[in-house]
Amino acid sequence: MKKLSLIVFCFAVGLAVLLTGAEAGAAKTIKVGIVDCYSGPASTYTNDVRDAFKLAVDDINAKGGVLGRKIEFVTRDSKFKVDIGLSAAKELVMREKVDILMGTINSSLALAISNLAKKEKIPFLVTFSKSAKITGAKGHRYVFSITENSALAGKAGAAGLAKKPYKKYWIAGDDYEYGHAIADGVWNNLKKMKPEVKLLGQSWWKVGEPDFTPYITAILAAKPDAVIVATGGRDCVPFLKAAKATGFNERVPFYMHTATELSTLKPLGLNAPEGVIGTSNYFFYYPKTKENQVFVKQFRAAYNRYPAVGAVYGFMAADFIKKAYEKAGKINTEKFIDALEGMTVDTPVGKVTMRAYDHQAMLPMFMGTTKKAEGYDFLIATDIVTIPGKDVMPSVAEIKKARGK
Amino acid sequence: MEFASNITIAALFQQILVGLSRTTILFIVASGLSLVLGVLRIPNVAHGSLYMIGAFLAYTIATLFGGGSSGFWIALFLAPIGVAIISFIIERGLFCHLYEREHLMLLLFTFAFTLVFGDLVKLVWGSDYRSLAAPVFLQGSFSIFDLPFPRYNLFLLIIGPMVAFGLWFLTNKTKIGKIARAAAVDREMVGAVGINVSWVFAAVFVIGCFLAGLGGALVAPTQNITQGMDHSIIIEAFLIVIIGGLGNIWGALLGALIFGLTDSIGILVWPQFAIVFPYIAVVTVLILCPKGLLKSTW
Amino acid sequence: MPDKKMNWKYIGTGLAIFIILIFLPQFLPRFYIYLSALILITGLLATSLNLVLGFGGMYQFHHAVFYGIGAYAFALTLTKTSLSPWIALLAAPAIAGLLGLIMGFICVRLSKLYFGMLQLSLGSLVWALVFRWYSFTGGDDGIHGISLPDIISSTTGSYYFTLIVTAVCLVLMYLIVNSPFGRTFQGIRDNPERTEAVGVNVRLHQLIGLMIAGAFAGIAGSLFVAVEGSVFPDLLFWTFSLELIIMCLLGGWFTFFGPMLGGAIIVMLRTFVGIYTEYWTLILGIVLMMLILFLPEGVLGYLKEKFKMHDKTVAI
Repeated sequence: MKKLSLIVFCFAVGLAVLLTGAEAGAAKTIKVGIVDCYSGPASTYTNDVRDAFKLAVDDINAKGGVLGRKIEFVTRDSKFKVDIGLSAAKELVMREKVDILMGTINSSLALAISNLAKKEKIPFLVTFSKSAKITGAKGHRYVFSITENSALAGKAGAAGLAKKPYKKYWIAGDDYEYGHAIADGVWNNLKKMKPEVKLLGQSWWKVGEPDFTPYITAILAAKPDAVIVATGGRDCVPFLKAAKATGFNERVPFYMHTATELSTLKPLGLNAPEGVIGTSNYFFYYPKTKENQVFVKQFRAAYNRYPAVGAVYGFMAADFIKKAYEKAGKINTEKFIDALEGMTVDTPVGKVTMRAYDHQAMLPMFMGTTKKAEGYDFLIATDIVTIPGKDVMPSVAEIKKARGK
Repeated sequence: MEFASNITIAALFQQILVGLSRTTILFIVASGLSLVLGVLRIPNVAHGSLYMIGAFLAYTIATLFGGGSSGFWIALFLAPIGVAIISFIIERGLFCHLYEREHLMLLLFTFAFTLVFGDLVKLVWGSDYRSLAAPVFLQGSFSIFDLPFPRYNLFLLIIGPMVAFGLWFLTNKTKIGKIARAAAVDREMVGAVGINVSWVFAAVFVIGCFLAGLGGALVAPTQNITQGMDHSIIIEAFLIVIIGGLGNIWGALLGALIFGLTDSIGILVWPQFAIVFPYIAVVTVLILCPKGLLKSTW
Repeated sequence: MPDKKMNWKYIGTGLAIFIILIFLPQFLPRFYIYLSALILITGLLATSLNLVLGFGGMYQFHHAVFYGIGAYAFALTLTKTSLSPWIALLAAPAIAGLLGLIMGFICVRLSKLYFGMLQLSLGSLVWALVFRWYSFTGGDDGIHGISLPDIISSTTGSYYFTLIVTAVCLVLMYLIVNSPFGRTFQGIRDNPERTEAVGVNVRLHQLIGLMIAGAFAGIAGSLFVAVEGSVFPDLLFWTFSLELIIMCLLGGWFTFFGPMLGGAIIVMLRTFVGIYTEYWTLILGIVLMMLILFLPEGVLGYLKEKFKMHDKTVAI
């Protein structure tokens, strides 16, 4: 009898949870639903997005909200699984009835949610996912990207590498879509800018590869002039660690997108390799504009850590939402989208415009080299070159072609 | 599909060395798993979680003691002990009541621990990357034929055979080792002779998990310490144990060698498809020798 | 002999539940209709697993592979060929069943733990293939926005489609389990040496069982595509396979509808616990532990024992 009552009890609790899940009818708010990965290594990046968004939203709400309404947001953890994330997104749309969707670092999930957003006619702001397909081949009216992607990074990386004297290259990276996309992005653009470059060979390891030493030694045996390392978020830190341990960075110069980012360099502390070329969307120490310094100060005060690039995405999202609704004049999705197209906001990296044609934010890229510096217990980027947003964006013609128009 | 055109003898030799140092970690983890599987007949899926906890503990202990070289050695000593204590608590508290159940239940129970430990680690340590530095004299690398061989990998190459010898000594030359081997084959008989089988099992389980923690602490300076470590190691460890023969330490060594070497040579020879080499090796072995290469205890 | 009177009671209850399920969309909000469809799919998948796990006693550690391959087969046929969607639907069980045959042929010579580990190994290889073959399968990006015929692409439409297909499959599986083949299969689970001694080709039976289980898993996969409109490699990942085993255990793996119940509980728990906390995995782990310690026969199994529903056929 005890077991039976236990089962009945569990069902009762479950039913109670189900019923209380129904909405509490509070005052009308603008509801934002964020689906992202808050478990595992990816959360280093995604926490910044959520935290900065919260900071910005609290500020907006304190000043009266948007069109008289407060912004409210809920988060769902996708645990880096696309089926869980997609289900959560559907739950946010159908049950929580959010006005805007935001997320996610997982590109496959971003594409799936983008598709959902199109079907349900809900705006989806993409943060962190670096797939160029989101605003490229698979772009549509309801999806906006406020983060960089492999096409932008590829062009920036190539621009920087074209200025260097290297001719014989090796490409190595994570064997999944992003890895290949970024490698192709850099290489194709590099070949266009500097036709005499040669590709000696390629190595691809599985995502989450535990030991890079055998790959590094194989690459060194081939003796390239430089290496393009196409790792995704998860493998950047371990690869840099292996590079330092094998002295890879001292033997062969290599380029890695996001190598200069805080999220990548902080965990390695002073043991990070120097001389690595990297591109990034944000540094908290550069440019030392008033906007940036105020932003860093507020973030540090609230969270006791320096903001990394995700924080800028979160901040921008809140700003875009606020200004687009205000420009639209009412809480209406179609008007919101129309207002958002072509809108410019002030951000810690300067003025950023949301290009109307493909809904891609025109973010500037910063290319630099890692180096130890006074006053920090992690490496920072030096010799920073700023590449303005409009110089890294694919042309509208290229987007049209990708979308098959 | 291109074969690397730079396979020189030097490069091959270098890759073999690298593969061997990788074998060390795989062997240490797999031998622990093999012990537990062979003697207690528990397919311990949580072995990977204990490996991960070993790495996180090593990080915390090292940081507590200043993070430098001394921190590392203390961590290397204390982290596996910490894992052993945790495993002792689990064994006495829960597992010892389940020995009579069928294997699938035991496996699922340990899988439950994987789930629980995974989230507990996240609760305790947060989800940021952790990074542990090797002691200074083990950083950097030698040059062998002009190719770098990290000093830490050499350290692993030395540790591996030491652990293997230690385990062999333990299982073959000590009294408890002999009792454990007997209990693996016939636990009732051992009980009938008057030996407390339950404590033997506890000891074996703790030693097996100690090895998992040791593996984790050793691997910590070379990779990201993060969630997901448990998943990636456990499949490899199980495959090694299966192809080596359940409960057979030398089998674990052989399996780890096959795994580590096919992987690193594959990377040199056919970098794009290196991932499949170890799996093909495993499938081949299992088709030819279904019970594993060396004798298993059951 | 099976008690015919008792069977009618069960069939009656079954029909009643089915009728309730038909009218569900009339009074449930949209999200719950979607969730119900998801529950049906997961339940169907778990039931197909239980064919070989609970009734066959085989350590099917990577059942998700057949689910995922079925989903991909349907999705790829839809997107890459100009075949009608209704024909494309047949690709799912066909290819999944074929994979069951191939993998089964390699694994069936082993038993118990070795069988499970080899299947896990082969399955991981299949996953790695799907994950990396971007030109064909879309790689880790997956395929999204798959166009389906209008009747089944809406939330309600996909629900009814799922309901009908699931009901048909359940009836088929029920008949198989209670057929002579099914009884021999259970005999193999209970005592393989004895059954072999009586002249039954154990390996052949297991192989056929694997094919059937794989085919039904493939159908579940195609239903997933109908409801979500996407496929991705996560569907073939090994942790999902273990979750399926948990569902069978939770519901009661010596019963027929146990896995369905287990699937329903897990999907609902996952959805609603996920709203309140990030630590769903922790809760799942604790649930599993409680289950093994206190309720090893599963919820339905326990209820069956409690209300003394012992009969020779597998009634529920």
